Amino acid sequence: MARILVIEDDDATAQEIVTELGGCGHDVAHVGDGADALERAMREPFDVITLDRMLPGIDGLTLVERLRERRILTPVLMISALSDVDDRIAGLRAGGDDYLVKPFASDEMAMRVEVLLRRRRQPAESAILRVGAIEIDLIRREVRVDGDPVRLLHMEFRLLEFLARQRGDVVSRRIIFEQVWGYYFDPGANLINVHIARLRKKLDRPGRPSAIVTVKGEGYRLDAV
Amino acid sequence: MPSDPLRLRDIRNTSTFRLTLLLGLVFAAGVVALLGLIYGLSARELNARSDRILRLEAARLLSVPVAALPDTIRAEIVRSESGLNYFALVSRDGERIAGNIRPVAGAILDRPRDLPAGAGLPGPVRLLAVRASSGETVLIGRDISPVVDLRRRVFEILVASGLGIAPMILIAGIALSIPPLRRVRDLRRASREIAAGDLDARMPILGRGDELDLFAGTVNAMVEEVGRVVAQVKSVTDAIAHDLRTPLTRVRSQLYRARQLPGIDPALAARVEAATGDLDAVLERFAALLRISELEAGSRRAGFGTVLLDPLIAGVCDLYEPLAEERAIALMAGSLPGAVVHGDEKLLFEAISNLVDNAIKFAPAGGRIEIALSRAARETCITIRDDGPGIPVDQRAAVLRRFHRGSDAGDTPGSGLGLSVVAAIMHLHQFALEFDDAGPGLVARIRCPA
Repeated sequence: MARILVIEDDDATAQEIVTELGGCGHDVAHVGDGADALERAMREPFDVITLDRMLPGIDGLTLVERLRERRILTPVLMISALSDVDDRIAGLRAGGDDYLVKPFASDEMAMRVEVLLRRRRQPAESAILRVGAIEIDLIRREVRVDGDPVRLLHMEFRLLEFLARQRGDVVSRRIIFEQVWGYYFDPGANLINVHIARLRKKLDRPGRPSAIVTVKGEGYRLDAV
Repeated sequence: MPSDPLRLRDIRNTSTFRLTLLLGLVFAAGVVALLGLIYGLSARELNARSDRILRLEAARLLSVPVAALPDTIRAEIVRSESGLNYFALVSRDGERIAGNIRPVAGAILDRPRDLPAGAGLPGPVRLLAVRASSGETVLIGRDISPVVDLRRRVFEILVASGLGIAPMILIAGIALSIPPLRRVRDLRRASREIAAGDLDARMPILGRGDELDLFAGTVNAMVEEVGRVVAQVKSVTDAIAHDLRTPLTRVRSQLYRARQLPGIDPALAARVEAATGDLDAVLERFAALLRISELEAGSRRAGFGTVLLDPLIAGVCDLYEPLAEERAIALMAGSLPGAVVHGDEKLLFEAISNLVDNAIKFAPAGGRIEIALSRAARETCITIRDDGPGIPVDQRAAVLRRFHRGSDAGDTPGSGLGLSVVAAIMHLHQFALEFDDAGPGLVARIRCPA
């Protein structure tokens, strides 16, 4: 369970976020005003903040900038009706960790929060990630399955690293594309599928289910097998 | 946008230059005709006067008794101190009996005639030959040097004025052509901007009320109306896309929650999943439509910077190589070290990805796709060439329109918005997107001006 601060002035949207994240088992607090939210975020520790860009009091961009100025590094998911490329860039430059455009699918929002939570729980200094038989050496950029080295291309390694960091959680193709490749357009479901298929081919071992599980209609999940 | 320099060839082709040249030639012909007329009339008058004098002299000499003719002629020569008159008495056998000129061939009886200097004549002479009653011939001549001088002068004047007028006509032609040519160039630049989709661009009007102002005003009114209609259609489309997104997203959330309910009937769960998938497709299309509108707004340039093309192309290849491999298509990328453009790296990646994605969709299994970079004097080109069916010439503009799906699209997946997104990104960058025949296949070329 994580502590999440939802900063959102629109009651319907706030209710949707609180319900979804509460349903995922998180402890969710909601604030509707920018100034109150800043004060609360500085007073109490949170694991993730979801932040609306257009807020009464202090707007979302200023709020995240003030948090970062005060060395509060809680991951922030910015949620905004402004979908323009420039708005996204401005949100991320101000200190946001991810950006979601309204209206959004609540499952996608929850996935993005999980990605930020995972990032917080696994600091970058962890040199080795282990998921079942898969071992990822982040320093030497090497992967082993059952102790046998597996040669991965650069982007395959990044894809596996990302799935490993989210192990046990479903991540959508869209989130995979944004987080692994760093681009914010829809490349089509099939493109991510073939990258996953290629990675599976290198990781799977006979007589054992694939570590990368396809969750129909949602995305992929890396399990320990 | 830098203005194109005026070239001599452009000036030479202008109607103003040609008209000036034509008028100049007509003027020069008029001058020649006028001078010719003056010369002709003057020469005729001088000749007529000479002829009258010659005939008077002849009549006077013929009235003298034949025996006295030699002495009379000698006396006339002495009397004509000016030396402008010539006389001779020539015997029947052609010998000069008296006179200050030798008998000359070419003299015709009773008809005055101009004879050049030489052959016994001291200068150009108008000569009249008459026959005396005794059978001798009397030659009476008159110096016509002034007429010859006049002819030479007139010729010199014609040559000099021709040499003087020709460059003046050229200079006048060029000087008169430059201002309208500059205006046409400005009009052409504005029309290019309008043709490239900038419906806010207008043709410049100088307020002189001349024909170019009238033309520009008419085109501006037309563009204004087209812009108004396009904006109206677009705003309706965008409003539909925007307003439907929120309720559709809520429906999707409800379906998602329903799918999560414990103990849900598997058949119902499958239907809910299918409905969610369809809704996702609709939402993606709405998102793409709104994205095109944002890009077409054209002023969003926060992400602009120097973009290295080599790594960009390599990144696109890395992304699409597994998809190409799945269809046994060879995806090759060329390299041009140091090639850069000014733009938004993420948007350019998206545009090139879209073109490569399209090429993979339409290239035959076992086909080949090449991404090449090339540099010319004033632009860098990104070329994506496939060996698929290509796009017929008459559909090349239509494929950039929203929701257009080519006649060969068949069951190929896609929303029909991909190339519209590419076109919008190109428009934002002021890059040109062209489609060409690869014989067989399609060449998609992005031209990035330096």
